[in-house]
Amino acid sequence: MPTLIAPFGNADWLALAPVLVVAVAPLVVLLADLLVPRALRRTSALALTALALIVAGIVSLQGWGHPFSAFGGGFQAGGFTIVFQEVALLGALLSLPLAGRLGRDDQTGGGLALLLWSTCGALLMAGASNLLTIFLGLELLSLALYCLCALAAAPSAREAALKYLILSSTASGFMLYGMALLFGATGSAQLAALATGSGSHVLLALGSGLFLVGFAFKLSLVPFHVWTPDVYEGAPLPITAFMSVVTKAGALAVLARFAYAALPQADAQALLIPIWVIAALSMIGGNVGALAQTDMKRLLAYSGIAQVGYVVAALAGTTPLGLRYAMFYLVAYAFMNLGAFGIVGLLSRDHEEGSRLTAYAGLGHRRPFAAAAMTFFLLALAGLPPTAGFTGKLLILASSVDAGYGWLAGVLIAGTAISIYVYAKIIYAMYARRTGTAPEAQAARRPEPLRWLGVGICAVAVFVMAFYPLAPSDVLPQVK
Amino acid sequence: MIATLIVVPILAAVLLLLLPRRAEGTAKWIGVAISFLAFFATIGLAGAPDESVRWLQRPFTANFHVGLGHGLSYWIVLLLTLSTGCALMATNVPRRRDFVAQMLFLLGAMAGVFLARDLVLFALFWDLMLIPVFFILLGWGPERSNSAWRYLLYNVTGGVALLLAVAAYGVLEGSTDLIGASLGHGASVVGNGWGLWIFAGFAFAFAIKTPVWPFHTWMPATYVDLPAPAVAVVSAVQSKAGLYGFIAIVLPLLPEQVQAAAGIMFVLGLVALVYGAVVALVQDDAKSIVAYSSLSHLGLIVLGIFSGNALALGGAAVYVIAHGLFSAGLFLAIDQFETREGSRSLKRLGGLGARNPKLAGGLTIVALAALGLPGLCGFAGEILILTGLYASGNVWPAVIALVPIVLAAAYMLRLFQDVMQGPEVADVPQRPDLTLLELLALAPLVVAIVLLGVNPGPVAGSANVQSAVSLVQGTR
Repeated sequence: MPTLIAPFGNADWLALAPVLVVAVAPLVVLLADLLVPRALRRTSALALTALALIVAGIVSLQGWGHPFSAFGGGFQAGGFTIVFQEVALLGALLSLPLAGRLGRDDQTGGGLALLLWSTCGALLMAGASNLLTIFLGLELLSLALYCLCALAAAPSAREAALKYLILSSTASGFMLYGMALLFGATGSAQLAALATGSGSHVLLALGSGLFLVGFAFKLSLVPFHVWTPDVYEGAPLPITAFMSVVTKAGALAVLARFAYAALPQADAQALLIPIWVIAALSMIGGNVGALAQTDMKRLLAYSGIAQVGYVVAALAGTTPLGLRYAMFYLVAYAFMNLGAFGIVGLLSRDHEEGSRLTAYAGLGHRRPFAAAAMTFFLLALAGLPPTAGFTGKLLILASSVDAGYGWLAGVLIAGTAISIYVYAKIIYAMYARRTGTAPEAQAARRPEPLRWLGVGICAVAVFVMAFYPLAPSDVLPQVK
Repeated sequence: MIATLIVVPILAAVLLLLLPRRAEGTAKWIGVAISFLAFFATIGLAGAPDESVRWLQRPFTANFHVGLGHGLSYWIVLLLTLSTGCALMATNVPRRRDFVAQMLFLLGAMAGVFLARDLVLFALFWDLMLIPVFFILLGWGPERSNSAWRYLLYNVTGGVALLLAVAAYGVLEGSTDLIGASLGHGASVVGNGWGLWIFAGFAFAFAIKTPVWPFHTWMPATYVDLPAPAVAVVSAVQSKAGLYGFIAIVLPLLPEQVQAAAGIMFVLGLVALVYGAVVALVQDDAKSIVAYSSLSHLGLIVLGIFSGNALALGGAAVYVIAHGLFSAGLFLAIDQFETREGSRSLKRLGGLGARNPKLAGGLTIVALAALGLPGLCGFAGEILILTGLYASGNVWPAVIALVPIVLAAAYMLRLFQDVMQGPEVADVPQRPDLTLLELLALAPLVVAIVLLGVNPGPVAGSANVQSAVSLVQGTR
């Protein structure tokens, strides 16, 4: 008879340390919001949030090279978890410079607290190896995001939040049903039990199918992507940037762990074929969808669909190298996408976000540095050198060919060819000659060192990663 | 030190943007100086040992490996630096600082393509060299023209196909550090189901870039819309990247697939040869004539490459350089009468030769080289390719290839006659002859045209060129 109060040891809490840092920090942020004078509230909230994320990042890195299982198999510490945690923390940290405009002044503290809790969910998902922990992390991530989406003053924000709430909850429903079936098949909520279980084959197939549908929804893979552009467009800019990296990192962690470690060896490849097909559809559908967009946030939403398709394609065949390249591309994607969002942020004015494509016409003549940086990030997203996008695509292609999924490599190539048009369209608008584009008045702009810092970090990372494709070893997921 | 040929121009391009916008003259001379420095550095570095730094270990070995040798790479880099220097010398395009920066970036990226000894590095520079041309078309091409789009979409599509082919070859072979390496590689790829796909990927990319009919439709618009210095370099050198790829990568690494596909490539080359020449005959725009004549000439080189004959292959190498020299010269000369008369239309122009004897003289030499006059470089390449074709038993292709060579005389002489001879056209303002600077820009190309025509031996390699590899690296 198992006791209800599990005897957790110190090691268990150690595994959870980065998650705990990010879980407790929002309380500090909220308290500080009450104590600090009004003029300093925004600054203090931003500083405390950034500090919490950096501390969590450092704490998380301490565990490198010491994989172990905590909470009776509910949470795995180790390289795999750390990589995804760092990506999530990075995504949250680099979307902060954009958050200068998160809601009204008195909403900043609360908004950032929610952002931290949402990150906390992603950190939990990175290490979750039990169906319940997975669900806990996912809901923590999502619930905070529903509120954050509604933070903007525009009515479209509330619409986005509601849409996100309803569709995401539906997906959660699918997933829960899948989890129930998986539990029914094996009699355990541990992922390890799935891998070794001898349960009913039909239940296992149905359960994993529904489970994957749920995650395809969260990752906004085609054909479960329709909510993404609307939500991205309606949500405030920093939250869109946050979602495009942190949500995807968390969901990809679960997907990768499930694909690599949680399925019986014999059936794994067959059970996973639908997910590779979905990845192929996303690579094409995301890029085709992006063709017609006239709003930068919608365009980046569709481009993100395709980019995640590339990452999932790297996992095809579930080879160890494939996982490493998926991680490499995910990190590269985080940097180039956040960089692009950073430029969108730089173009934002007080009452409008710089997300209409018309705002980019002639940008190369008005603001050469912003245009050059944007061009660089778009080239990276398109997979052209000298960027991490180029090296990342090469590695993914190699891994697909290596794993025997040549057709997926072919689809990736086709998707990339379509995407060239999408990204070059913006570059074209920025640099095409137009008569009568007067240089923007210099005085109208405030200096924005924080946003430029964020953009600069992204640009350097995207450039350096092209030539130092460090793909860490020791990152295979475990489920024990 | 070989790597500086790539890095210095690219760094200089970035640093140029720090100059004040008005420093147009300074920017131009910096560009000219760097191009000619690179030219002499290339001569100095001939035969220098390769340089290599480890890049990837998994999933296959890839290195930052560059090498110059004294073979085809060496000659093409000489052509590249010389034509860039000449093209920039007399240029007067607007916003020259930005333009020179783009041209130097192009110089560095293209040097990378021809110096790379690793397939991944080759693919990287391949994509990189497309970007400045796209920007030049955007910034300096005519407004409301879609040539920038066509250029980018066609060539990047080729580029991603190349990337897949490189990745697949790397996975199957375990290494991509293969350009110019000794033969014997490729055994694992041949016989594999991937072999034909890899060949298709490479051939697709190279055929678009060259361009080979029917992948050429981006080319005339691009050549017409590019400003003169850019089109001189792009037609002289960038179009050779595809042919170089066939010689340096496809021939040595995929010998079986080359044999299987030689027939198709022959047909495509012959169609391009005839089609380009016929279309060139009826063009009114002088730039269009040269653009379509390029399609025709490059088709002949494709025949030479896929003939499987050492003589024809050597001829292809000579013609690669020769076409670069005279097409750069033609485009520069066309620009020189266009800046004088404000037109390139054959119907509109006439009788310029009487007042512009230097310009007429320059155009004569490059046009004669293009139509294959013995003693100039075009003839040296043509005769080697045709002899090789005949010797390897491809009699009919050799006979068919003769027809466009005769047509070349027709369209080149028509170009010269309509512009330089005949009665002067009254409503066209007549301006003075070539300045010293413009003459200096044309002179090195003319000298090189004569030198290569008289002594094509070093480019063609010794008479017993055994393989494409020795052609790339040089045999000395």
